Amino acid sequence: MAATAASPDAPAAQSSEPGATLPLPVLYGVFLVSGFAALVYQVVWQRGLFALYGVDIASTTTVVSAFMLGLGVGSWIGGRLAANPKRSALLWFAGFELGIGAFGWVSLPLIAAVGQFTAGASGPATFALTFGLVVVPTSMMGATLPLLVSHAVRQLNNVGKSVGMLYFVNTLGSAAAAVLTAVVLLRALGVAQTVTIAVACNVLAGLTILAAWAISRRAS
Amino acid sequence: MSFRLAALVAFMGGFIALSFEILWFRVYGFVTGGTAPAFGVVLGSYLFGIAIGSVATRRVCGDETERGNLALLRLPAGLIALASLGGFVLVPGIAWAVTVTSWAWTLIAVALLAGMLGAVLPLVSHLGIAPDDQAGTQMSWLYMANIAGSTLGSLLTGFLLLDVLGVRDASIVLTTVGLITGTLLLLASQPTTAQRNRWVATAVVLCVAVTAGGAPLYEGVWERLQFRKKYKGETFTHVIENKSGVITVRGGGHIYGGGVYDGVFSTSLVHDKNMIIRAYGLAAYHPAPKEVLMIGLSSGSWAQVVANIPGVEKLTVIEINPGYLEIIPKYPEVASLMTNPKVDIVIDDGRRWLQAHPERKFDAIVMNSSWHWRGHITNLLGREFHEIVRTRLNKNGTFQYNTTDSPNIKRTGCEVFPHGFRLVNNLVLSNDPVAMNPERWRKALLAMKIDGKPVFNLDRGQDRKRLREVLSIRPPNWPKNKNSPWHNSCVNIVNGYRKAGHPILTEDNLVTEFSHPWYWTP
Repeated sequence: MAATAASPDAPAAQSSEPGATLPLPVLYGVFLVSGFAALVYQVVWQRGLFALYGVDIASTTTVVSAFMLGLGVGSWIGGRLAANPKRSALLWFAGFELGIGAFGWVSLPLIAAVGQFTAGASGPATFALTFGLVVVPTSMMGATLPLLVSHAVRQLNNVGKSVGMLYFVNTLGSAAAAVLTAVVLLRALGVAQTVTIAVACNVLAGLTILAAWAISRRAS
Repeated sequence: MSFRLAALVAFMGGFIALSFEILWFRVYGFVTGGTAPAFGVVLGSYLFGIAIGSVATRRVCGDETERGNLALLRLPAGLIALASLGGFVLVPGIAWAVTVTSWAWTLIAVALLAGMLGAVLPLVSHLGIAPDDQAGTQMSWLYMANIAGSTLGSLLTGFLLLDVLGVRDASIVLTTVGLITGTLLLLASQPTTAQRNRWVATAVVLCVAVTAGGAPLYEGVWERLQFRKKYKGETFTHVIENKSGVITVRGGGHIYGGGVYDGVFSTSLVHDKNMIIRAYGLAAYHPAPKEVLMIGLSSGSWAQVVANIPGVEKLTVIEINPGYLEIIPKYPEVASLMTNPKVDIVIDDGRRWLQAHPERKFDAIVMNSSWHWRGHITNLLGREFHEIVRTRLNKNGTFQYNTTDSPNIKRTGCEVFPHGFRLVNNLVLSNDPVAMNPERWRKALLAMKIDGKPVFNLDRGQDRKRLREVLSIRPPNWPKNKNSPWHNSCVNIVNGYRKAGHPILTEDNLVTEFSHPWYWTP
């Protein structure tokens, strides 16, 4: 009945992925930071979009749905990328983190610029514009979980433990971001500098993975 | 577990988790007054619970035997059902708890219930996905199913259930869906006949109990949530729940939006219960306010006054919550507003409407705006919105709004506009010189009638005395030799608050929204 056929708690198996076997604590730490940045963006971008398109239930639900759709699209992309063992899931992950950071860096001016031409748009237009604005970064965010699951499963040989731990650290990072953004960051730093912190988190996550991947590949 | 079943459970887990999240956030928004820091902490607690729930599954994912997997299959079933039951009693639980302690303690229950739902995705991933090279791909499908369920949950609950049913009946529906989902999943775990009969019977009994128990359990929930430790058994005259929020009205005609004071049904300037003098002020500082825009309707008292000011030809009111339109006809002081041909009421977000109609310009824009600490208030009171309004005023046009005595907002308005003054706790701003004109005000007030009744009847001594007080812009019985606390120039305001170091409110610093600690309640 169960699809899990491998022996439990197998020692960290050598990844069949090209190039690297990353220590899991590093992977967890990076994914925690990634989850932190993602929620900071969600809070800040939603605020910017609500200012443009309204805070009534129709606009807020539309904006949130656009985010969710982006995550779903990203999950599908991540799954496709993870399916090919010749491609490095870790490198894709690092690339996506750096991509999210790059988008984050220009996100506030971009939202403001789009808003100048589209503020007060109708419901369907709001959805299209919001989705157009956030589809790239949210897709990259959504792709990260399947990519890292594929990598972790190769080491742990256990799907439940892999998903559980990765989902844990990522959501824990998001929980910390929700609280810290609301209680400390926005109050002390304002919106723009809070986004800068999120960008730094993405860059840190991406570069850490790249460095660890390079070290691991050289060692192997 | 088949992969299709795993995807279905992931979908339903997401649906129930996000549905309850929307519902609980409605309740916490009400009890906290919709402050931004509190929202962040509630979201953090929910996510923390999801995180703990997902890591807890690691402990039970080691047993790969057939029996172990059967037990694992029953775990998400039980978690979904239990979390749904918990979700049903959480709202009355919060309502009871806030009458004796801080709402913050109830976040423990939110984290606990979110934890149960957060365990579902890792568990079904473990049961439905083989640990091979395709694990990431299959995970992506389950994750997509979870996201799809979450999106549908937020849409269905936010748009439909809370709009049509309200929190109590939405809780009953969601709990029933959770119980049915859990039971169906249990039935898929190869139970014995006796087990199957027992589980189905238990589910039926629980569904009936939840449906029957909703009314008594949820009785007085909104009153408890609003009055908290001051709750003494009072019952609201009206409670309107819809997708835009919750409106409550107390016996004395005090109206609340999202649990926060919004105003009073009263237009009387002689017996001024709600500082309605501020709405009448338009007749004193504007020589001919023909075309007026009002953002926010609430009780309709301000709109009723402004619509009856001599010279006003058209009043456009933008209100975000259509629930107010159900209540206003029930109060004679404001009921005629709904049939006044001069008044056009539009249901929309005020800022969005203004930006979507760049061709509309006004002689006066009036907002009896909500409290400066509420979430997203910067959209209406920040520097950026002031700059939008500046472009939408006719020559000698004015912008009046409630600062709720925030130094930041007073400084913001007076810095953005070149001319202005404070009237009670409102600012009156303009691109052109603007001032109170007592003589013009006297003429307008004596000419004004609302529903055919004059605002002042000079045959009555009480009215004559009150008119003198109003025209002097002083609080009742205020000494004539002391400066009025109700009136101050923007020059003084800017100088004072610059020295005191109160920053301008911008969409970057959000200073008024985050000025209170997260656990603070109004």
